[in-house]
Amino acid sequence: MTVKVEVIEGGIPHTKILIAGLICTIVCLYLSYLNVVTNTEMFSFFGGLAAVAALIWGSHTIKVLCSYGIGTGVPSAGMIAFGSGVIAMLLATKFGVAAPIVALVLAAVIGLILGYLANEVLNMKIPAMIQALTELAVVGALTLMGLAVLITGSFTFAGLTSGSVTLLSSISMPSYQVSFIGGGLTAVAFLLGAIAIQHPFNACLGPGWKQDRMLMLTAECGFLSMIVAAIMSFALVDAISAIISLLIALIGWVYTYCEYIKMSKRDAYAWLDSKPIPDVEGH
Amino acid sequence: MTAVAAKPAAGSAMNPTAMVVGVVLLIILLVIAAVVSPGLGLMALIGVIIGGVLIGFGVHFVPVGGAPAAMGQAPGIATGVAMLAAGAGLAGLFGGAWAASQGFAIAIITGGIGGGMMMAITCMMVNFVYVFGMGIPAASGKVAKDPITGDTQPEYKSQGTEGHGLPFVSFVGGVTGGILGGAGGTLIYLELLNLYRATLPTLMNASAAQVLPIAVSVAGTFAIGMFLVNAVLTAYNITGTIEGPHDPKFKRWPRAIVASAVASALCGLVAILIVITI
Repeated sequence: MTVKVEVIEGGIPHTKILIAGLICTIVCLYLSYLNVVTNTEMFSFFGGLAAVAALIWGSHTIKVLCSYGIGTGVPSAGMIAFGSGVIAMLLATKFGVAAPIVALVLAAVIGLILGYLANEVLNMKIPAMIQALTELAVVGALTLMGLAVLITGSFTFAGLTSGSVTLLSSISMPSYQVSFIGGGLTAVAFLLGAIAIQHPFNACLGPGWKQDRMLMLTAECGFLSMIVAAIMSFALVDAISAIISLLIALIGWVYTYCEYIKMSKRDAYAWLDSKPIPDVEGH
Repeated sequence: MTAVAAKPAAGSAMNPTAMVVGVVLLIILLVIAAVVSPGLGLMALIGVIIGGVLIGFGVHFVPVGGAPAAMGQAPGIATGVAMLAAGAGLAGLFGGAWAASQGFAIAIITGGIGGGMMMAITCMMVNFVYVFGMGIPAASGKVAKDPITGDTQPEYKSQGTEGHGLPFVSFVGGVTGGILGGAGGTLIYLELLNLYRATLPTLMNASAAQVLPIAVSVAGTFAIGMFLVNAVLTAYNITGTIEGPHDPKFKRWPRAIVASAVASALCGLVAILIVITI
């Protein structure tokens, strides 16, 4: 028997966030396909927006899952999300233009099986477990794909594995090392996403938890990760596209940061009757 | 209800049906691997499963204290499994990857030593902080006598706590867990690296030297991903905290073996499918 620690008081229901997050992410990922249609790299920033949308959805899923004291700490949920997501995302990139959809389906299957293992084989018996791990795997895969698009302008395996080096400022040579996967940028994107997904609930949990404040913090963390990813994208896309991504990330970050501070101030003097720490044996 | 009643419910009971389903799932995944890539792929998958099981089993040895340990109210290292596993496992993985060119056995041993050393240093510094910083002795709350040294524990245990610090058996457990985790992570990495080095040149139509960065990076990313999946599943098994091999929760390891094997087989199969031409 597990008892839920907190219930969601008011706010937007989780299903709504799930659907909105999923649609926004997929639409943004496909909008980045304008890169191929118009033969530029100007639309790479849509990848970053997809990542932010997926993170907002994911952090609310973590809230749903971690409300049932799972005992392992909030960061572990972020780690399993991206651990299973990165595996699905790398295989999905092989499917060309269908990659976002394949990533969604594949990650859902992996997450479903991991959820079953956690809930039944490991006997966790947490009602939200299977759905939450499924969602988290999808969020992990789509966030990584979004960051990959932001950095390279493409979500196909060929686009992520090949780049070019310019020798003597004129001769351009193809190179697999100067690429998202070959250069090891996957690992950086992995942690940029994992930190952004697990931090908001970890920071906002408690009796004063407010949904809008947590989601604003998630957006802020997402844009912060997007700034770093946009800076890395200077190596792999042309300078103008990278500057566009960086500007959008900066504007988004400044806006969400100011909003988050406002909300923190709004909530700071509120008093909620929390019980004193009960005398309880550890678990 | 309040948070008092919200302790994780995962008891030590096993769910036989789920265990059977897990084993069947494992066999199905192995058969799929045998069909799509007999030989190289299947061998790699078996290696990945063994590596994953080593990680899952190894995490049970690590004294994870969590938040209560940070307040000196429970024994163990004061952080969560995800952080400890990432630290020890990745240290081992880096060590093993560095030695990958020296041969299979040397790389695995190096990986194990890397993980074990990382945990040994962590455990020692944790005890330094506990003893000299917080002024508390090391005492286990789960056993009356240290199973290795035979030192009695209850006299040193403060009232109202479950013990504190890292008793000798927890230290040994931490190092053992680090060795198993580091070796397991390295095994996954090596198996995938060998597979990718053999198949990527034809798949990408390039020379072996050109695709090496891709092979190393993809194998490394998959190894990190699987490491975290296995570590977090094991964390769910021990519901977050454990004292070490003497803790009653340690007896839950068979469940984690099944879960880790299935999870590794699933992730490993996806990792193998990436080099299958569609």
